[in-house]
Amino acid sequence: MTVVGLRLGLLALFLAIWEIAGRKVNPLLGVPPSAVLPSLRDLLLLRSYPDLPASLWLTIREIGTAYALAVAAGLGCGFVLGMHRLVGRAWGPMLAALYAVPAVVWYPSLMLFFGLDAASKIAFGFLLGFFPIALAVLAGIRQVNPQLVVVARAYGAGTATVFRRVMLPAMLFTLVGGLRTGLVLCVIGVVVGEILGSKAGMGALINHAYGLLRTGDYVALVLVTLVLVVGSDVLASLLERRARRWTE
Amino acid sequence: MRVRILQIVTVIAALGVWEVVARMGWVDPLFVPAPSAVAPALLKIGRGALAGLADTLGKTAVAYVLSVVLGVSAGVAVGSIRLLREVLSPYVIAFYGIPKILVLPWIVLLLGYGTTPAVFYGVLHGFFPIMVLVMGAVRDVDRTLVAVARSLGATTWQLYWKVLLPAIVPSVLGGMRLGVVFCLLGVLVVEMFAGVRGMGHVLGSYANGFQAPELFAATALVSAASIAIVLALDHLNDRLSRWRG
Repeated sequence: MTVVGLRLGLLALFLAIWEIAGRKVNPLLGVPPSAVLPSLRDLLLLRSYPDLPASLWLTIREIGTAYALAVAAGLGCGFVLGMHRLVGRAWGPMLAALYAVPAVVWYPSLMLFFGLDAASKIAFGFLLGFFPIALAVLAGIRQVNPQLVVVARAYGAGTATVFRRVMLPAMLFTLVGGLRTGLVLCVIGVVVGEILGSKAGMGALINHAYGLLRTGDYVALVLVTLVLVVGSDVLASLLERRARRWTE
Repeated sequence: MRVRILQIVTVIAALGVWEVVARMGWVDPLFVPAPSAVAPALLKIGRGALAGLADTLGKTAVAYVLSVVLGVSAGVAVGSIRLLREVLSPYVIAFYGIPKILVLPWIVLLLGYGTTPAVFYGVLHGFFPIMVLVMGAVRDVDRTLVAVARSLGATTWQLYWKVLLPAIVPSVLGGMRLGVVFCLLGVLVVEMFAGVRGMGHVLGSYANGFQAPELFAATALVSAASIAIVLALDHLNDRLSRWRG
C-alpha cells in the first residue's frame, strides 16, 4: 500500500516539476502537461492532423508485415541452424556477431535500396525482429534434452510427433520470449525508420511537428505512438502467458 | 576446424553470389554495388571515414563511461534498498522499454546539434540495460551471505564492498558488454538524425548522395569496428572470469 502511494506520489512530483519547468522555459521547447492535454484533444479530434488515422494504419501495417516476415525467417533460419550441428556451430557465432552491430548502420543502405516508402521501414523492422527470434529458436533447441528425443524415437514416434510432443514443450518458454522481444524490436525498427526518413506514417507526423516547432503536437503524437508500442507489447505478453499455461 | 572452414566458405560464397548478382545486372549497381566496387571505395573514403569513425567512437567512449558509472551506482543503490527498489522498479522498466527514438527530436531541440545530444542520447541507451541488470543482481545476492556477514559484525561499508560488489561482478560485466552496443547505437542515431560530424552523418550523406559503393564501404567499416569492440570485451570477460575462478 505504501509502495503504491509512494509510486503515485513520485509520478505526481514528476508531473509537478515538469509543469513548473515547462512554464518557465521557452514555449517552443518546454510543454507543460496542462498544455499537452489541449494538443492531445486537437489531435484526437483530427483538428491538428486530419491524416492521423491513415498514418497510424500505415505504421501498423508496416509493423505487421515486418513482424510476419521476421517470424517466418527467424523460425526457419533458427530451425535450420538448430537441427544441423555443423551448420549451427559455424553460422551461430556469425549470427551473434552480426547481432552485435548496432542495427541502425544498415538503415542508410536499406533506405537507398528500398526507397523512402514503406518498404525500407518494413526491411528495417524485419532486420531488428529477425535476430532475437532466430537466436531464441537456436537457444531453445539446445535446451531440449536429447535423451528425451532418443526415448521418444525408441518408442516409435515420428519426426512430427517428436517435434510436437517433446521438442516444442521443452523450448516453448525460450521461443515465446524471443517472439515477444522480436515484436518489440520490430515496432522500434519501424518507428526509428520512419523518424530517420519517411513521407508517411507516425514518424513522418512526428518529424513534421518537430520541424515546425509545434512542440505540443509533437508530444501528443509521441503519446499516441507510445500507446501503439505499449499495446503491442501487452498483446505479446498475453500470448506469452497463454503459452506458459499450455506447457504447465 | 571444419567449423572454421565452413565459416570461411560461407563468407566467400556470399561475396561470390553478391558479385555475380551485381555483375549480371540483376540489381541496379546504383543501389547495390559489387564487392569489387566496394573495396576500392574503402580506400577512397579512407581518411574522411576514419576521422568520422574516431569522432563517433570518442563520443561513444564518453557515453559508455558515464553509462557504466551511473548505471552501476544507480543499480547498486536502488537494488540494495528494498523500499527504493519496490517504488522505482516499474518506472525503471518502463524507461528501459520505451523506444527512446520518440524523445530524440525533443533532445535535439533542447541540446542542439553536435556532441552533447549524441553523448546524452548514448547514455540514455546505455544506462538502463546496465542499471536493470545490476539491480536484479543486487536483489538476488544470496541472503545467507548478507546475514552471515552482518552477524559477524560487518559494517554497512564492508557489506557493500566485501559481499555485494564481488557477487555482482558477472552481471556488471554482462551489462558492460550489452551497454557498449547500445551506446554506439544511440550515438549513431543522433548523428544520422541531427549530426554534423561522425560516422552516422557520413553514412547518411552517402545515402543521400546515392554514393552506394562509399556507403557500403563505410557501413562495413562501422560494423567491423563494433564487432571488434564486442569481441574484445568478450575476451576481457573470459579472462576476468577465469581470474575469478
